[in-house]
Amino acid sequence: MNNISVTDLRLKFPGEDGLLFKDLSFSVRPGEKVLMLGPSGSGKSTLLQVLSGIIPNSIELPLKVKDIQLPDSWGFVFQDPDTQFCMTYVDEELAFVLENLQVPREEMTLRIEEVLKRVDLHVKDPHTPINEMSQGMKQRLALASVLLLEPDVLFLDEPSALLDPEGTQQIWTSIKEATADKTVIIVEHKIDLIADWVDRVVLFNDHGVMIADGSPAEIFANFQQELKRYGIWYPGVWEEYKTSKAFQSMTKNRQAVASQEKIQIQDFHGYRGQAEKISVKQATVQAGDWITIVGENGSGKSTLLLSLMQLLRTNGVYEVNGVPIIWKKKKRQLPKGLSLVFQNPELQFVTNSITEELTVSLHGMPKADAEHYAKELIRSFNLPYSVSRHPYQLSTGQKRRLSVATALTPHTDILLLDEPTFGQDARNTFAILEKLEQLRTEGMTILMVTHDTEIVVNFATAIWTVVDGVLHTANVAGGAKNVQLVHT
Amino acid sequence: MFNWFTPKRKTWLFRVNPALKFIVFFAFLIITLVNQSLPFAISQAVLYGILFYVFSGYSLKKLSLLSIPLVISFLSTGLTMLLFGKGEAVLWQWGLFKISEESIQHALLLGSKSLSFGFVGFTFILTIQPVLFFYAMMQQFRLPSKYAYSFIAAFRLIPAVTEELQIRRNALKVRNIQFSKGVKGLYERLQSYTVPLFAQSIRRAQRIAVAMEAKQYQMGAARTYYYPTQYNTIDRVFLLVMICCLCSAFLLSVYR
Repeated sequence: MNNISVTDLRLKFPGEDGLLFKDLSFSVRPGEKVLMLGPSGSGKSTLLQVLSGIIPNSIELPLKVKDIQLPDSWGFVFQDPDTQFCMTYVDEELAFVLENLQVPREEMTLRIEEVLKRVDLHVKDPHTPINEMSQGMKQRLALASVLLLEPDVLFLDEPSALLDPEGTQQIWTSIKEATADKTVIIVEHKIDLIADWVDRVVLFNDHGVMIADGSPAEIFANFQQELKRYGIWYPGVWEEYKTSKAFQSMTKNRQAVASQEKIQIQDFHGYRGQAEKISVKQATVQAGDWITIVGENGSGKSTLLLSLMQLLRTNGVYEVNGVPIIWKKKKRQLPKGLSLVFQNPELQFVTNSITEELTVSLHGMPKADAEHYAKELIRSFNLPYSVSRHPYQLSTGQKRRLSVATALTPHTDILLLDEPTFGQDARNTFAILEKLEQLRTEGMTILMVTHDTEIVVNFATAIWTVVDGVLHTANVAGGAKNVQLVHT
Repeated sequence: MFNWFTPKRKTWLFRVNPALKFIVFFAFLIITLVNQSLPFAISQAVLYGILFYVFSGYSLKKLSLLSIPLVISFLSTGLTMLLFGKGEAVLWQWGLFKISEESIQHALLLGSKSLSFGFVGFTFILTIQPVLFFYAMMQQFRLPSKYAYSFIAAFRLIPAVTEELQIRRNALKVRNIQFSKGVKGLYERLQSYTVPLFAQSIRRAQRIAVAMEAKQYQMGAARTYYYPTQYNTIDRVFLLVMICCLCSAFLLSVYR
């Protein structure tokens, strides 16, 4: 195995002014485990693609390099579990790699079984549809297909960014086991599981310049300010946040906003087609509650939100602000005061500019007032004020904040959110949470699906747990401290 | 959605090499298209009807459901031809409508042709597995692998797109988007669905393409096959039976 290296790399995205990299040099020794950190947009993923040769072989970008040493054999695991596979079944996907390598058919079955074992992916029958697997399993399948290439070097581009805590744990365990003798280069924001495992950490700044290169201990001790500014989930980020002024002032005098019943539910059921997917025996929500809805993947958390929003067929007693809601098949009106923020912000945007996006749902408000209202939201959600900018052109964090802002009309007083902090970096996560807490103190009621136990422990006023399509409520009054007692 | 396309029983048609089946059925369609003889058209429709109703292996319920579009296309092409077709021997006339002996003939001919198209098309779709079809096309007919895998990958994306469509519909409801009435509203609706779905799909397609190349897929490179397909006895039988059937359909129509 050789070193992998680039010397004096220059690279530019078409249509952008500055260079992404200006004379960047970087090299990795055989067997080294390297973690690249930096703010989003600093070019880490791009560098990974250059080092593997994906740029310029598969993605054409103008680049200039004095010297480049690419690995002989390599594998690449990407961020999104849903866009890495071209086949429908597990065995077919793995066979696709073996076919590319011209492995004879007789050897395929055995090698498929072997590699599935190697990544701890235990499926009864390898001929299982990929769509039926959890996101964490899909990422392990992606790892398996890459291991079939027998790579010397493994490139990992945020492999756990879109996974829940359980999936994250599994993928890193598999990676550690399978890559002991390999060179591994990782880009990742969620690093608590790998901070001790890597040999070397490389830190980039906003301009694609390498500002630090050293052992994990060294970097985490000396560059905390940068790590914090770049929104990296470094070990201990929550502990530090909890001692911050912002958090302290938020939680010091946390109390119920008003004792007014916002939602009342009894014997409530939600259906997809004919099948009952969620049932609630009894639950109430008070004004100013921040309820986190937790539960395993596929247990029915999102279904619960869709049912409350009346996007699925429901029956039972369900009152919002004292008004009984009855499901109608035709001429359906969504409950007044309720709004839902979906997981994918882009699917929620309906117009071509940020301002329009915020005014489009304000039916009946005079134009000047609506624009003023939008301006206020743009300011308070820290969004760029631009007349022409398309919502799709925002950064990931901005898109997410805009999607929450779009749900806020003057009539909204109950906000349903489906994993609003999912896939966000630390800085964006805290920004969203602080914004939600501010809304809560102003009287907003929040119901939010999340996997993040830190959020549950530190922000929820009550926890709802969904198990196999049944809601078990665990109402807790009194704020964060009491929640902690009940939860642990 | 794909579960719907599971047959009740796997008939012998399932075991035929899908690429061969494609070529034979394609030939049927060409013959149907160029044929001008009414008796032959009818006997063909009957033959393909037997294939569809007896040998596709699907339950009668599903088959009758699939027959609905066939009947509609039969009636619509037939009736248009019947009422507006040219002809000398006029039997009945009322305003623009004119039925003549020739137009009856033409109506039946066109109707049987459209039925044949439907039967053959459905029988093919119902009795192949798409993945195997493309594997066979690569192996038996040297279809370049890039086309085969494009189709297979696109097929895999259909459920994702339908799910996104559903989410988009819900999101528009939640955002309380009201469309204008009439044609303008239709345009607005179309735009608000297609733009985000296209954006997602293009991005997804590009990522998959990069991932495929990262797995060392190379266009035009030699490869082995996980599903080896070849010609078996069943294929010879299939070919023979199909030729015989077509010939007898032809002879029946000539020597009535």
